[in-house]
Amino acid sequence: MEPVKDISGRAAPAPLPAGTGKKRAGQLVFHIATAGLAIILLYPVIWLIASSFKESASIFATSHSLIPDPLILSNYTEGWKGIAGQPFITFIKNSLIIVGLSTVGAVLSSAFIAYGFARIPFKGKAFWFSCMMVTMMLPHEVLMIPQYIIFAKLDWLNSFKPIVVPQFFGHAFFIFLMIQFIRTIPVELDEAAKIDGCSRLGIFFRIILPLIAPALATSAIFSFYWKWEELINPLLYLNKPELYPVSLALKLFLDTETASNWGAMFAMSVVSLVPVILVFFVFQKSIVQGISMSGLK
Amino acid sequence: MRRFVFFSFCVLLTLGLFGCSSNTEEAAGADGKKKVTLRIAWWGGQPRHDYTSKIIELYEKEHPHVKIEAEFANWDDYWKKLAPMSAAGQLPDVIQMDMAYLSQYGKKGQLEDLTPYVKDGTINTESIDEKTIKGGKIGDQLYGFPLGVNVLSVITNDDMLKEAGVEIDDGSWTWTDFENLALEVEEKTGQYGSNGMHPPDVFFPYYLRTKGERFYKEDGTGLAYSDDKLFVDYFKRQVKLVDEKASPTPDESAQVKGMEDDFIVKGRTAATWNYSNQFSAFAQLTDAPLSLKLPPEQTKEKALFLRPSMLFSIPKSSEQKKEAAAFIDFFINNEKANALIKGERGVPVSSKIAETVKKELSEEEKKIFEYVERASESAGEAEPPEPIGSAEVIKLLKDTSDQILFKKITPEEGAAKFRKEADAILKRNQQ
Amino acid sequence: MAGYAFISPFIIGFLCFTVIPMGASLFLSFTSYDLFTPPKWVGLDNYKAMLTDDEKYWGSLKVTFYYVLAGVPLRLAFALFIAVILNRAEKGVGIYRTLFYLPSIIGGSVAVAIMWRNVFGNDGVINALLFFLGFDKKILWYQDPTSALWTLILLSVWQFGSSMLIFLAGLKNIPPMYQEAASVDGANRFQRFFLITLPLLSPIIFFNLVMQTISAFMTFTPAYIISKGEGGPLDGTLLYSLYLFQRAFNFFQMGYASAMAWVMLILIGLVTFILFKTSSLWVHYESKEG
Repeated sequence: MEPVKDISGRAAPAPLPAGTGKKRAGQLVFHIATAGLAIILLYPVIWLIASSFKESASIFATSHSLIPDPLILSNYTEGWKGIAGQPFITFIKNSLIIVGLSTVGAVLSSAFIAYGFARIPFKGKAFWFSCMMVTMMLPHEVLMIPQYIIFAKLDWLNSFKPIVVPQFFGHAFFIFLMIQFIRTIPVELDEAAKIDGCSRLGIFFRIILPLIAPALATSAIFSFYWKWEELINPLLYLNKPELYPVSLALKLFLDTETASNWGAMFAMSVVSLVPVILVFFVFQKSIVQGISMSGLK
Repeated sequence: MRRFVFFSFCVLLTLGLFGCSSNTEEAAGADGKKKVTLRIAWWGGQPRHDYTSKIIELYEKEHPHVKIEAEFANWDDYWKKLAPMSAAGQLPDVIQMDMAYLSQYGKKGQLEDLTPYVKDGTINTESIDEKTIKGGKIGDQLYGFPLGVNVLSVITNDDMLKEAGVEIDDGSWTWTDFENLALEVEEKTGQYGSNGMHPPDVFFPYYLRTKGERFYKEDGTGLAYSDDKLFVDYFKRQVKLVDEKASPTPDESAQVKGMEDDFIVKGRTAATWNYSNQFSAFAQLTDAPLSLKLPPEQTKEKALFLRPSMLFSIPKSSEQKKEAAAFIDFFINNEKANALIKGERGVPVSSKIAETVKKELSEEEKKIFEYVERASESAGEAEPPEPIGSAEVIKLLKDTSDQILFKKITPEEGAAKFRKEADAILKRNQQ
Repeated sequence: MAGYAFISPFIIGFLCFTVIPMGASLFLSFTSYDLFTPPKWVGLDNYKAMLTDDEKYWGSLKVTFYYVLAGVPLRLAFALFIAVILNRAEKGVGIYRTLFYLPSIIGGSVAVAIMWRNVFGNDGVINALLFFLGFDKKILWYQDPTSALWTLILLSVWQFGSSMLIFLAGLKNIPPMYQEAASVDGANRFQRFFLITLPLLSPIIFFNLVMQTISAFMTFTPAYIISKGEGGPLDGTLLYSLYLFQRAFNFFQMGYASAMAWVMLILIGLVTFILFKTSSLWVHYESKEG
């Protein structure tokens, strides 16, 4: 595997040569300390996983012990059966559709828009750029009701549309990130393509987009896991349980007036973490590469 | 190549999105009546979702021209959803309603008056007590039809009581008796004697009733009780119990995550104050023998009352009001449906149904029915639905109670502060 | 003109989905609106009441500022620390990165809140750890408003993953050439870190600082779930957004809540502006990039 190169072509620091005594000791210390810290930090997560194998009624009674006794798998099988006639797989499917569409929409549209801001001079650019930044500073609660009414008038209620469609119009965080990134690409490349007869759109697709692939990956990760956990929009816009995504479905397992099914909820929470973790692990290398290339200098 | 796969994936997903949208137009149904779609919404936990869905299936089978879309969530989320729906005129045809919100939704013109449907028999009220129906009225508008009743109760762990050597004669015990009992339990067993009577907005008004007073004025313009000593006495008692470790501190109570974590379930209190319908959940979660006792001093002033546990309402914006009312009637009066409900939403309002259902109940569930029957013998007039602004007043009372129990202010200071701010809130909301 | 073509999706989305609701919320802030009946104009009454007659408002403002001032630096410091540690090409460092990022991914779900309350419970693991380390008094985390707020702050610090990632990327961007040159000149590790790494990293520290501050001011979900929507004990965890939510949806006072939102917007804008202005004092941009 090629060592990671940054934009100026210099190689990243090479791995420490193994075998030199002091260095080996250093490595060992590193691993022990880091692993130790990781375990401490992850205790709550481990607790969550352990609880998912305990019987609901005893989860809190035995909360100090990480060892389930008896160890049961029924939380998983029960939780998988779902709730109110919807198998859990339905919720996962819904989440995948919502998150998949949102991510694709957000990432592509943000790249498109970022190109406009980064590369093309036009009157009023600063104004629209500030507007974009402001959208990140608005508390969502007050926009909720007017937005809901707008979507009601469009007759989009009880569907995925209000959750997904706005994603196709850009997301400020990603736009900003990609603008930074595009700025690191030498303008000469653009100009060379123009001389070769490429239109602006062509430059976008053929030159810019491939070169900002790491930033695209970064945005995709963030979008994926933000949308995966999102509660408020699905809550407002999805009435039929068969449309619920995982985040909402998990709340159905809990109720303040009767015995909540903690075991099933924890079990399904663990299950729902798996896609997010997978996505992260697969992309984490490109992320580090991606943000470093955005030249946030 | 990868990008191509990516894009075709998007296309497929997009098709998936549009395929998941809502309904289509339909022709007349199998029984010749025009096809109708009803949206029905309720809050609850998993068991409730499950059996209610079965009832819906039952209804659809018996009424083939009706298709029902169920919408449900837990308590918190339910009200969060309802508010925007209301603002946009998109409320479901049948909404489960609670006494705490009935005024807000009803007085602000969101709910339909159900009286016509009672009068013309769509909702059959033959075996339903007038007093119970009145629970859903504001003025003479019936904004919601009660689905069940529950009553305030003191649920006791009888083993613990025996261990402490105390007995309760719940027909005649007084507040002092209660206090002494709690202290005895603490002394003899080291556990709490009472759970702290949470939340204060339920039990303080009850205390007022036992003294012949009321919490809110009839017209909702302010607090009814004028003597702050009542407030002070009530909270002084709470403080004393906490100080003597006969009641838990507020942060301990706040850490209770759910029913299975509750003090009575874990054997840490001898008595807990709750509505009667919560008895069955507690009984399921613990092996200790539990029983329902009438709260102290309820006879003299007829302080107890049958409270609608929840109601079904029809929004003014519904286009299928008659069909919605028919569903409500089914829910209340149909035997097969209630065989599934088994009183989970409170003791059925129809005495006929209550009789039938009672036969199929477990011992523990029967206790609730019997308790409610006992209570109704000495029950007084139900509290009217809460006035507008009550949500703020409730929060104020909770906050004041916390401050007192955390020793930040004295009960006397709390009484004055509460009165001043509560009156201000209620007045503000009159405009 | 081509510029507008490219940013047109943003403009359309902005106009349809944001501007109208923004305008509506600004309008609503001057009204009394209970969601059911049409809004009633009240002029500046909401703002006046908020600033002069509402104890809880100032309380929530104080709590929120405390949360931001304590939480953001802690979180960034921790994230930077871990990023520096993980900035090596050791075997398995990818796994460590994933592990440290895990708390972030778990996010604000109900499971997290329950688990967090449990960990900080009177008999929870944190107290057990403190006991193990020699403290002999149990901290009743949820009995005191300040310590309850600290559980929220620690939750945010625990979820430092995204900041860590960005720092990692920034560190990788620093040419090793500088470090090597300094080493040759006799600088030790600490000197290298403070005199070379930090200044070169400052633009990224700045980015993280601004982003984290903005999102810290708007924190809602953890406070809501952990305090069960109450903001307790004694309003110790009543963050601004939570109070806003209570006003809007528990008390049906949408107009008042809208006024609160606009004040928050102005506040965040101000803070961001100050951060930008003072950045020239400590942020070091490499001159070669424009």
